Parts: sequence; C-alpha cells; structure tokens
Amino acid sequence: MSGRILVVDDNQANLDLMLYLLKAFGYEPQGAASGPAGLEAARAGNFDLVLIDILMPGMDGYELARLLRHDARLASTPLVAVTALAMATDRQRIETAGFNGYIAKPIEPETFAAQIERYLKGTAS
Amino acid sequence: MDEASVSLRDIAHFSLRDLAGSRFPLLEYAPDAAVIVDADGRIRLVNAQTERLFGYYREELIGQPVEMLIPARYRGNHVKERSGYAGDPRVRPMGRLGLELFGLRKDGSEFPVEISLSPVSTREGTFIASAIRDVTERRAAERQLQELNTELTTASRAKDHFLAAMSHELRTPLNAILGFTGALLMKLPGPLTEEQERQLQIVQWAARHLLALINDILDLAKVQSGKRELSFEQVPVQKVVQDVIASFSHAADEKGVHLASSVASDAQTITTDRRSLRQILLNLTDNAVKYTEKGSVRIDARLTQSNGEPAIVLSVIDTGVGIRAEDLDRLFGAFEQLDPMSERRFEGTGLGLHLSRSLAQLLGGDVSVVSEFGRGSSFTLTLPVLHRG
Repeated sequence: MSGRILVVDDNQANLDLMLYLLKAFGYEPQGAASGPAGLEAARAGNFDLVLIDILMPGMDGYELARLLRHDARLASTPLVAVTALAMATDRQRIETAGFNGYIAKPIEPETFAAQIERYLKGTAS
Repeated sequence: MDEASVSLRDIAHFSLRDLAGSRFPLLEYAPDAAVIVDADGRIRLVNAQTERLFGYYREELIGQPVEMLIPARYRGNHVKERSGYAGDPRVRPMGRLGLELFGLRKDGSEFPVEISLSPVSTREGTFIASAIRDVTERRAAERQLQELNTELTTASRAKDHFLAAMSHELRTPLNAILGFTGALLMKLPGPLTEEQERQLQIVQWAARHLLALINDILDLAKVQSGKRELSFEQVPVQKVVQDVIASFSHAADEKGVHLASSVASDAQTITTDRRSLRQILLNLTDNAVKYTEKGSVRIDARLTQSNGEPAIVLSVIDTGVGIRAEDLDRLFGAFEQLDPMSERRFEGTGLGLHLSRSLAQLLGGDVSVVSEFGRGSSFTLTLPVLHRG
C-alpha cells in the first residue's frame, strides 16, 4: 500500500495514533496539529488523501474543508472527516460540508487501513 | 315602562335610567366595568365595577369626557377612533390584534385592559357601551409562562449541548486507548509475551465496555428527552429476526448453543421503527446467549391482540440460568445487574434491558419477562402492528 496522507488533528495522542498506524501499514503520513497548519501543509505538499478532525480550536474541520475545496489545485483531493462527534446532526453536517467520507472515533485499528485504502482508491461511497 | 317585568327584548324602549335601575341589575352588577358614553364622548352611565376599577365615585365621572379614564398619551388617538366608531357602530373588541390597551385610575396608576364595544339604542338615542376588563393578572401569568418557556428551551438546549460535548470528550481519549491497545495487540510494534497480551486484552475489553456504556447512556438520554429519531415504515419481521440470529451465530456456535427462529405467517410485517426493533432484539438475544451455557436460544414471532389492537409478539426464549422471582421486578431498572459478585458482572452495561423497555414503550409497546430460575427465561417484546401517529 502506498499513498501520501496528511492528518490534521489537534489532539496529540490521536494524531500520534493515526500517524503510527498509517506508517505501520506502509503509507507516508504527515501530521498537522491545527487547521491553519493543515492548510499550509496541504498547499505545500502533494497529498493523495487528507484526514481531518472536526472539532479543533480556531479553524475547525468544516472551515478547513471549505478552504481546501476552494483551492483549485486541491479541490479534487479526497477529504475524510475523522471525528468523535457522534450525533446524527453532526453526520448530516459533515456530509454536506465537502467531505468524501467519515470515519468515527474511536477508530478501529484492525479495519483502519482498509477504510483508508477505499478512500485512496475512490471506491468508498 | 311596565313595572313588573323587563326583558332584554324591551331594551330598545329603555331610557338610560332604566338601564341603571334596579329593574335591570345585570349591568350594575356585571363583573366588567360598564361605561356608556354619548356621541360627544361624555360619560352618561357607569356601573359599580367601574367605581372599583378606576377609583372614582360615579358622581365624579358622569358628564366628563371618557378620555379621563385613558392615559394621556392615548387620548388624542382615542378621540379620533371614537368619532370613527360613532359613524359605524358595531359590536367589536377595541384595538387591533396584539395592541395592548390601558386604563388610568384616579390615583394616576395604569392597568392593562381588554375592552369590547357595542352600540346601545335607547329612547334617548344611540349610545356607545364599553365593557372594560382588568387583565393585570392574566398579562402577568402570560408573561410568566413566556419566561418559563424561554427558560425551558434554554435549559433543554444546554442539556443537548452538554450531552453532545460529553460524548465527544469521552470518545476522544478512548480513541487513543483503543487505538494503541489495538495496535499492540496486532503486534505492529513487535511481539508480545503471553502475559502482556492477556493484560492488553483486558484493557481493550474494558475500554470497549466503556464505549458501550457511553453509547447506551446517550441512547437513553435521547429516548427520555424525546430526541430519539424514529422513522416508521413497513418492516419485514422475518428479515430482522434472521439478521439478529446471524449476528450471534458465531458466539452461539462457540458455546454449543443452538440458535433458531420462527415467524408465524400472519406476523410477517409490522409498521414500526426498524432501527429500534433491531436494537431491542439484539439486546434481548445478546442477554439470552450470554446467560445460556447449553441448550438453545430461539426467537418466536406471532400475531396477537393487545388492547384490542393487532400486535406482534417477539419472544426470545432461552434455556439459560433463569432469574429468581424476587429479582424480576428490578430487572428493568438502570444499572440493575443481578448477582453482582458473579464473574458476569461486567459483561453488559447494565442499561440494556432498561433501554430496550424504554424504546419499546416509545414504539407503543413493551418488554416483559417470565422466567424460572435454573430453567431459562423468556423475554417478550410486544409491538402494535400498525403505527398510530
């Protein structure tokens, strides 16, 4: 498996976890600990997929997704929300906010790689 | 006028004095203030309630412009409105919808009023009668109700927000705990000793239990606050039952417990919320499999009548440990796990049956149980076949 993946999450432990798992499964992950850092990294790098936490102080995941979608060069990069928000209204908002998909926290390390692979290939609904 | 009897039919032949007299006490003792004015807006007659309400003796009122009973800021407009009414006298309430009217007492204080107007024909000509009601208490009650409503809405919103935030804040550290434990158990960083693996499995199991608790508590909070989203549709009973059976086939096989189901031909469809039905059946079947060491767990669906309406009964019947008669009552309470010293203490969240019954009641049904200790239990979900929204 291969692919350059940007992970944006303000929680250090969860950022560490995702970076660790992605690396263990053979991807090339890079971390950003805030919305603005994620935006900068996404513009500077050339990523095949961006994983975005939703609730972050300052620029949240919705705002980051909106800015990435409005960047002509990044508009087609798949964006996946990885969030501990679990209410039905949150899911509806994520669906309409420009994300290609949604992974719920707590993530399942056993199936995480398979989920990532689907989004990389663009076969996830 | 005939001295003996006066009826309302005769009112057109009254003089103003007749209206105020002892032969027609209705006006004098009416609960509203009654004020009758002439075409010039001068007060010609008032009743006892007018004196009480406005604090004047009637001698002080008779012959004065009616505007003396109105706060100064409304007087100019009132004169105009009054002239308009004289040109088109009909029975109607005074003021436009939503407009608050006020009366002015002799002592200068104001009070909210409601006024209805009607023309009165007498021998002396047509006058304008107004019935004036003090609505101070009603306005105060309305305002109080409004404030209470606002407070409740705010409180309810705060509670929803708190639940959503709590859910998010609890899941966030659980993500790291379950994630890294899972990574270790997958031996991604390297091999584990047998003892390390055993201990990590306990951490993983406890963390999953905590996650299940969070989910059940949130579900329960949603059910109890009426926030649970239900979507009633025609649900194929056979399909739901088979799905539930299938999700326990592995666990049952491992224990050597036989799983079976039967759905009667007249119990094939039900109009209900599919997600809740599934959740209740999963819960009941999970318990049955958990507490049965040998024998069978079966789900039977059949048609019955409940309160004169067709209902479907779904029974989850096991040959497990059973429940003591004295324990049956508290079985459906929250966090009421029986036999707290047993090794099964932490296998469930302690909310499963409580949540199942709450959900069933939300769908217009119920969950009940019959059990014989040492022989097995039968948990029965009864749901109306038709949804009456």
